[in-house]
Amino acid sequence: MTKPQVLLLGEIDHAHKAWASISEIADVIEPKARSREEFIKECESGAFDKVVATYRTFQSVAITGLIDEALVKILPKSLKFIAHNGAGYDQIDVHACTAHDIRVSNVPTAVDDATADTNMFLILGALRGFNTSMMALRNGHWKGSPPPPLGHDPQGKVLGILGMGGIGRNLKKKAEAFGMTVQYYNRSKLSEELSGGAKYVSFEELLKTSDILSLNLPLNKQTRHIISTKEFEQMKKGVVIINTARGAVMDEAALVVALEKGQVWSCGLDVFEEEPKVHSGLIANPHVMLVPHMGTWTVETQTKMEIWCIDNVRSAIEKGKLMSPVGEQKDM
Amino acid sequence: MSRGAALLIGKIAHARKDWEALASILELKEFGSGTRAEFLQNCKAGKYDNVVAIFRSNASTSITGRFDKELVSALPKSLKYICHNGAGYDNIDVDDCTKRGIKITSTPGAVNHATADIAIFLMIGALRQAHKPLAGIRAGKWRGDFTLGHDPNKKILGIIGMGGIGREVALRAKAFGMSVIYHNRTRLSAEREAGAKYVSLKELISQSDVISLNLALNESTRNILGKAEFAEMKTGVVIVNTARSGLIDTEAMIEALDSEKVYSVGLDVYDAEPIVDERLIRNPNIFILPHIGTATYETQKEMEELVLENLKVAVTEGRLLSPIAEQANL
Repeated sequence: MTKPQVLLLGEIDHAHKAWASISEIADVIEPKARSREEFIKECESGAFDKVVATYRTFQSVAITGLIDEALVKILPKSLKFIAHNGAGYDQIDVHACTAHDIRVSNVPTAVDDATADTNMFLILGALRGFNTSMMALRNGHWKGSPPPPLGHDPQGKVLGILGMGGIGRNLKKKAEAFGMTVQYYNRSKLSEELSGGAKYVSFEELLKTSDILSLNLPLNKQTRHIISTKEFEQMKKGVVIINTARGAVMDEAALVVALEKGQVWSCGLDVFEEEPKVHSGLIANPHVMLVPHMGTWTVETQTKMEIWCIDNVRSAIEKGKLMSPVGEQKDM
Repeated sequence: MSRGAALLIGKIAHARKDWEALASILELKEFGSGTRAEFLQNCKAGKYDNVVAIFRSNASTSITGRFDKELVSALPKSLKYICHNGAGYDNIDVDDCTKRGIKITSTPGAVNHATADIAIFLMIGALRQAHKPLAGIRAGKWRGDFTLGHDPNKKILGIIGMGGIGREVALRAKAFGMSVIYHNRTRLSAEREAGAKYVSLKELISQSDVISLNLALNESTRNILGKAEFAEMKTGVVIVNTARSGLIDTEAMIEALDSEKVYSVGLDVYDAEPIVDERLIRNPNIFILPHIGTATYETQKEMEELVLENLKVAVTEGRLLSPIAEQANL
């Protein structure tokens, strides 16, 4: 019997052995296309008409563009599963996929530690104001002249987590080791066991009473610009904001204004609205910590993520279902 | 009888009120800025002849120079206490002070959290070789010249020096999924160990994925990490130093970085601060900060308050709140 086909969109960088084992149960093919236009043509030519599942990476958006309604419509009818390598899957229109009977999985959990580590790194960097000192030292000016303003200790500060999923809960444990008190807002209140004793507050109270605000929620239609001008005005003066989720959950231009006004004292960002573009107002600010979307960029975590995603492909082929379907399709 | 005096060398930025409140029990004198020569001249001229206690800091060393034999011998006979602002006090010649009957206090405890925080920041920065992406994004190059880093999760952290700071580092490291082994002059109680494993220095050096230096610099700990020790370390080790630069043989460290025996280092301290070796400044793989371990409002205030508390209690009760270890039996 012929093996089903799996379409690889993007690269496998680490889990080569695990990926090679997929060849035992499926024929792996890759697109010749190097642009969305070419990809659409390749789909329409019937080149992928035996493809049952696809493994896609965040970076493969450079070939296919967003997996939106327009693209989903022309995908082969045989394609039933999209295994996405990443925790955030805002590049995929899940609604459109559901309508076309395509199931989508992401990679939760495997990303938690590395993302929370990066998050904690940014909290320290922004709160302590390390960036100016780092830059001064590298420029041969020791601490700089005049020396930068003193930073603040995390000890005793209130960390407000917006989005208490796997990453948010992982962050809580690390933040508490630095003496921070954690409160959170989530679509729904978590059990005591899951929340680990963190205080559940309303969105408004989270804004009003947090010394540090960490954004750990997915990007979708409801959460786009959930933090913007109105929200900055409700926050404590001198608040520190950290974003390792998706740039677009926060209005980047409004953030720059809030920084200039002193409403926001500092921020630590791993994500931006139009990556790889960064608002010039952020680049021009030496007091903020900026890193280029490297939350999960370690050998160990990238390997774990690839293996998780490969396991979803295997599960789709062998069992006809995904291991970690996205939340919106849990009942599909 | 005339009152004794307290001498402030350098500045007090946050607890000024507490200093001024001492005026009810002491005459207050200050040497806020100047040169070592001027300070010695003032001592010779008898300007400080009723000073019983001095408030000095690591920062004030840039004004007077080290409290070495020459300076200590010039200090007034009335002097009983040097209340030092800083956890490290290697810029004071302790033996000479002890011989003169001068007691020294420092600021342990107050520095623990801030120093442990920066140690973890440096550790993550080194594990991720974070300087490259930090510099890249600011230069408009997004990730720039970037390589995948490493997770702390499930790695072994070896802490050399399990005092107040070392224990705070251990606490934080455990939250990042690390297992902790430590070496100390003496083994700690089970309560203080909090699950960390006590090992010999040799074992620590050969078993650690990350090594954190959290011990005082003195003649027996100088170059505790030297060429021989680097040879015994795991390939790809990361070293964090928030203690004193003299604990590491800098040449051996640079050689080990070049050979990639050492994956990266996270440093807050250097041999000849504020001068830093060009080879370190130009190394994109390491993660460096200019000795700002305790540079926060909260910690600076707490440290100043502790020094003034030490000064007040020493002068009024003859009791030392935080005597230095070398003088613990005086």
